[in-house]
Amino acid sequence: MKGVMQLIHALAFLAVAWAGVPALAQSTSEAAPEWVRDQGPAQVAGRAVTHEQDIPYYEACAREGLNDSECAGRLIWFKATAGNDRFHTYVFQQRIGVMIDWFRVLRSDQRGDRFAAWGAINDPSCCTPGSAGCPARDKDETYGFDWCPGDEQLLAHVGKTGYRDPACDFRDAPLAKLDVHGPQDQRQSPCDLKFGTSTGALGIRKFPNPRFDRERWIAVNGSAGSWEGYGRRIAAAGGDEEAAKSHLWDGSIEPPFLIGTSCGSCHIAFDPLNPPDDPARPRWENIVGLIGNQYTRISEVMVSGMPSNTLEWQMFAHARPGTTDTSAIPNDQVNNPGTINALINIARRPVFDGESVLKWRKARSCDGQPADACWCEPGRVGKCWSKGLHDETVHHILKGGEDSIGAIEAIQRVYFNIGSCSEQCWVNHLTDLRVVDPQQRGYGQTAFDIGQCRRDCPNFRAIEDRLQNIFDFFVSAEAHSAELRVARERAIKSFNPRAEYTEADFIEDLENEFGDGAVARGAEVFAANCARCHSSQPGAADGQTAGLDFQRIDEESGLRADWLGNDRPTPVSEVGTFRCRALHSNHVTGHIWQQYGSETLRAQPPDPNIAEPADGGRGYYRNISLLNLWAHAPFMHNNAIGPEICGKPENRANDFYAMRPRYVDGSNIRLLPPDEQPGCLAYDPSVAGRFDLYKRSMEALLNPDRRIPKVTLLNEDVTLRIGPRLWDGTDKEKLLGFQLTIPAEIDGRGVTAGTIGNFRHKEFVVDLVQAKLAPDAVEARLERRLGPREGKQVLAELKEIVKEVRKSPNGLVEALKKRPHLVKQVYSSCFAEIENAGHRFGETLSDADKKALTAFLATL
Amino acid sequence: MHFKRFAIALVACALTAGCGQEEKRKKQEFEIDFPFAPYGEAYSAKPDFAALEHDHPLSVDDLYRITPELLSLLEQEQVDQIYARLSAGPIPDGPYEGDLFFPRGISGKLRLSEVVGGGLKGLLVNVAGRKLDAIGEILWKGKVFYRDQRLLRNRIEDLKPLKRVGLVDDGGSTNPLTKIEVGGHDQWLLFPARLYCGQSLLDGRRESIIIDYAFTDELPGYRRMPDMMAGRDGFAIRDEIRMVRPGFYLGRAYLDRAFVVNFVLWNDQAAKAGEAEFRRTGQVAEDCWSGTQVHRLDVAAQ
Repeated sequence: MKGVMQLIHALAFLAVAWAGVPALAQSTSEAAPEWVRDQGPAQVAGRAVTHEQDIPYYEACAREGLNDSECAGRLIWFKATAGNDRFHTYVFQQRIGVMIDWFRVLRSDQRGDRFAAWGAINDPSCCTPGSAGCPARDKDETYGFDWCPGDEQLLAHVGKTGYRDPACDFRDAPLAKLDVHGPQDQRQSPCDLKFGTSTGALGIRKFPNPRFDRERWIAVNGSAGSWEGYGRRIAAAGGDEEAAKSHLWDGSIEPPFLIGTSCGSCHIAFDPLNPPDDPARPRWENIVGLIGNQYTRISEVMVSGMPSNTLEWQMFAHARPGTTDTSAIPNDQVNNPGTINALINIARRPVFDGESVLKWRKARSCDGQPADACWCEPGRVGKCWSKGLHDETVHHILKGGEDSIGAIEAIQRVYFNIGSCSEQCWVNHLTDLRVVDPQQRGYGQTAFDIGQCRRDCPNFRAIEDRLQNIFDFFVSAEAHSAELRVARERAIKSFNPRAEYTEADFIEDLENEFGDGAVARGAEVFAANCARCHSSQPGAADGQTAGLDFQRIDEESGLRADWLGNDRPTPVSEVGTFRCRALHSNHVTGHIWQQYGSETLRAQPPDPNIAEPADGGRGYYRNISLLNLWAHAPFMHNNAIGPEICGKPENRANDFYAMRPRYVDGSNIRLLPPDEQPGCLAYDPSVAGRFDLYKRSMEALLNPDRRIPKVTLLNEDVTLRIGPRLWDGTDKEKLLGFQLTIPAEIDGRGVTAGTIGNFRHKEFVVDLVQAKLAPDAVEARLERRLGPREGKQVLAELKEIVKEVRKSPNGLVEALKKRPHLVKQVYSSCFAEIENAGHRFGETLSDADKKALTAFLATL
Repeated sequence: MHFKRFAIALVACALTAGCGQEEKRKKQEFEIDFPFAPYGEAYSAKPDFAALEHDHPLSVDDLYRITPELLSLLEQEQVDQIYARLSAGPIPDGPYEGDLFFPRGISGKLRLSEVVGGGLKGLLVNVAGRKLDAIGEILWKGKVFYRDQRLLRNRIEDLKPLKRVGLVDDGGSTNPLTKIEVGGHDQWLLFPARLYCGQSLLDGRRESIIIDYAFTDELPGYRRMPDMMAGRDGFAIRDEIRMVRPGFYLGRAYLDRAFVVNFVLWNDQAAKAGEAEFRRTGQVAEDCWSGTQVHRLDVAAQ
């Protein structure tokens, strides 16, 4: 292995050294990138490299031993935006109405603080203009961003057309021999993968904006490298209660770059086996692509241009590091941030036979079937797709088992999470929070149509034609589990290459810490108490766990045979953890991701022990894998069990934990005083740091009574405005439509940040209006939902509110303050409050057994 | 051109007993062979625009059947189905006539402020409405496009409605009101706005031309009153338009991102200049991103 690495580095060195020997350079065409023209194509471990920016990716392929398909998939996963640069530059801002201040996140002068602030992982190949060895000398050359490989071409096209995306030179892996659409290679042009160049943060990519007007930019900002005028807050004339705006809202100003994101923007992470010495300055070998960035604050990134007293900031910016609410944009009014799923040992992940799946499958022809059941791509031969309902063997992918029509399609849907094909395929299916008329488009979601998207979005086809490559990457060596013993051994070898750290050494260390025989005893405790849900071995789910070997290696894959989770659904009331994620509804019939949910999923009965709406297969959590638990604390789908972690950035304006301490007095859900707040643990991706966090989290997990309750609270009053407003320049603001102010506290009790996101305000407005106009219809609806007694009571309250509001047109706020249960329960999608409750399994174990279990789990 | 008679005809119509029947007949005649997709009342029963355009493409002849008067007779869903199948076309240049029409189901006799209130009228609406109504009478009427500067100003012949509600600041000698002459009439220029290509708030599949008043206070000729009323601290007005055919645009107006009213803009000269070529090819120069779904516009056989 060592010899291979030396060879790779030697080849890379030769490629760079080639720059000094222009006579050897291959003849080039006009289309060839400047780097190739200057230096000629390089070879990295036998793979031709056209773009300098690809060298570290191919080096990683060689380091991980990836084959052509896995390597192609890796490159796509890390770099392909599939056209979402328009989403992150125009659609999110103008259509959804949420501003991202990309400069605040990516400004090169704060590159060293970027990880601490945003959890973003710096691209090792990029540099700050003016720093030693950086090709760019001044921030004006890069418009204030990092300089990254490929920027010679990209920066020359800012404000111009004609940029040739590096993805056009992507070298596809050979088409799979048995591909139904083969043997002729008919894949969509790789140009539609759209790579651009790095912004300096891995997974966030940039593209030259042909509409950029340099003269106007300088007039707004003072210089090319400044974004000061673009992002500067402008106070509202109506007073402090109004949110400040900035020129980010001004769609007439075109920034120099369109910003796109790849799947890697959330999934690229530090390698637990080889963490960086300095997280702000990682090397490529510290980086892996599939376990998920446990520090990302992608939600804060997405609202980085919003003031904190806006609905959008309050809705987005409270996910813990490493979590995000993927239904915040395709909004289902269920506020539910969740972790980025760690993709480990996928080859051993459980699958489920005989699930009923309606989906499109590859076909050679359509034989006269209607277009909505079968479609052949124009200009191709025998490249068709046929839609039908069949029993299939599938994974249960998301937290509640959603994305259950196939692993390939689950990967496909990730591209919509990151904004790809938004204009062509899905923004028209979203809920518009401002539409309260049930007859108008936008009142609720409608179902995304995979067939339509395939037909109309070339970026969809570019990804779809290469999904097998991405899946192959998922099951590649890069997704293999990271054992703590190996991590410790590597850490030791970094100081002493000849040192060894054997399995016996490892067990000995664990037993020194957790007690004699702790690992063996922990295995017994695990089998008796945990394996029913957290083992994929036959019989375990039925309680037949005696004698199971959790360490056995599967001969075929070379992986641990047990995936340490069975992925079966468990009712949320049984798990008892924060239930909002289990109530996520985007895969319900008629909702946006309906086509990515199996009929089997939707046929699951609701959990009878919860009061919130839980139809359509909702109300469950799948039993997750405990693989590499030592590296993935804190725990649960929301990272809430265990210490709070934070980055402690130098720029205090980006210290998001300081804005949102979480520990509360459970009796009144109010924040504990600062001197009683446990505080947050600074990010530490080192082996020792991860293990320390693991132990603290295990302590919290197994001792639920000692957990200090955590709740993410509103940190200020927030006004939800439905309908337009008027400030007439003289009087205080007048309102057209109405507004609801959600106070940060009601009757001395704190209000959760999720209250707003979970408030089904549309249903409330319709019921309120109809309480006056059609009370019988409202009564029938309420009684169906709440039962006769409560239904009648709520109707009476609605009628009272109508009276109060007629007397006092701005009285709705007061009317609701008097009846907080309407917002917090009756019209709430989820009214859970304590985020670190539940999963009390194991609390009755003895202290010794708890230690033993902690020791054993560290070996998995 | 019949456009100019449109507003007058509607007023006359309102005074005539048989007008309702005549409107109904015109609407039915139009609907007979105009390609609308079926739809129901609920939001979920409306067709997806991508499917609509794929299954029910418009022809150039269809576009030449559309008139401002007919649009005002259609149900809002029908107006939306037309709008979604249009492209942005070129950013207009020069003076355009205009008129607004309310979503069907809402009486045209209502004032704009009442329309904004909608079903919530008298219940949840605190209407500071006189000012809005005065502005509504202006904003979606005549406009002047300054294509090269990507600016727009609204043309106003009569300042009295604004003066009545105290919204005109004459600016004195330092910032005098600007006038232009259109068709032999003096018109005041107010409410400057930016023009750019941007997102439609109805249909994301291709861009629309955006008329954005958010930062009106930064534009040449801005005067606080009445211009700020359209800006980010006032009604936060954002219009979007797409081209029906050369010289004729269909628009949607939003207040603080909430849809309130449709409007049309037309210029007879531009219409005449572009008709022959458009009828022949169905093509115009597009300034904005036109999406990746094939924009089908059938051209009649020559």
